[in-house]
Amino acid sequence: MRASVNRPPTPDVGDTQEKQPTLEEIINIKFIESGEKERLMELLRERLIECGWKDEMKALCRAFVKKKGRNNVTVDDLVHLITPKGRASIPDSIKAELLQRIRTFLVSAAL
Amino acid sequence: MGSHAQLSSQFFGDLLDSIIVDVASECHRIARLGLDRNLEEEEEELRLSAQARVRVADPSNSGEANSKYVVDIFGQTHPPVANEIFDCMNCGRSIMAGRFAPHLEKCMGKGRKARLKVTRSSTAVQNRYSQGSPVSTYSPYSNSTSTSRLSNGTSSGAGEEYSNGTFQEP
Repeated sequence: MRASVNRPPTPDVGDTQEKQPTLEEIINIKFIESGEKERLMELLRERLIECGWKDEMKALCRAFVKKKGRNNVTVDDLVHLITPKGRASIPDSIKAELLQRIRTFLVSAAL
Repeated sequence: MGSHAQLSSQFFGDLLDSIIVDVASECHRIARLGLDRNLEEEEEELRLSAQARVRVADPSNSGEANSKYVVDIFGQTHPPVANEIFDCMNCGRSIMAGRFAPHLEKCMGKGRKARLKVTRSSTAVQNRYSQGSPVSTYSPYSNSTSTSRLSNGTSSGAGEEYSNGTFQEP
């Protein structure tokens, strides 16, 4: 047979370095593919609006914008501004509800 | 922490971070597009109050006696006597607003001289009371035309006065 037919496949640069997907990545993919991630996002968004969390964050942003001038503000500024307070001020009940649903999904997906 | 709990927590944290970025992005957009009306109004208020402070501090503005026309906080001036003109709903004359109270005194019969006057308006007043319905004198809704009717003196038939359809027999 001719040598060209048996030529080994072109080595793909990525192939040699590719790892197995991490557990987190697998979970993420399962969440996304099943649509559960989107449902959970919407649920969390809704809860955070209901309890006034979003309004608090918007107020923080407004105060910052007023101080700095509305054309001198970047998205990054605002993200760094509200992240610590935002993470800390999630009501326990909402956090519990979401964690419960996530755990349920993990179990049902046999992860 | 069990691995499930840890994974859950981590996943929750990711959801939260996404939402935080969304909120920040929304606020950024509102700020840059100037959609936050309150912000502009506050800036305008601050500017106006700073101006007002300057005016107040200025010694040449002190006291109403100094100038005939005083400037209020909106920058408007008002003449000492209100000079809007309108028609008296009792006698139909054209009256200057600032002279309306003394006019009404005479017109509606407080003074000795006024009671002696027999005008079309006083007959209109008598007719009004004789119809006996309290609604006709006080309610703005049941006879919206009655006040303007008096000005031409004809207290026309009850059917016309109650233009909203409630027909009252005198």
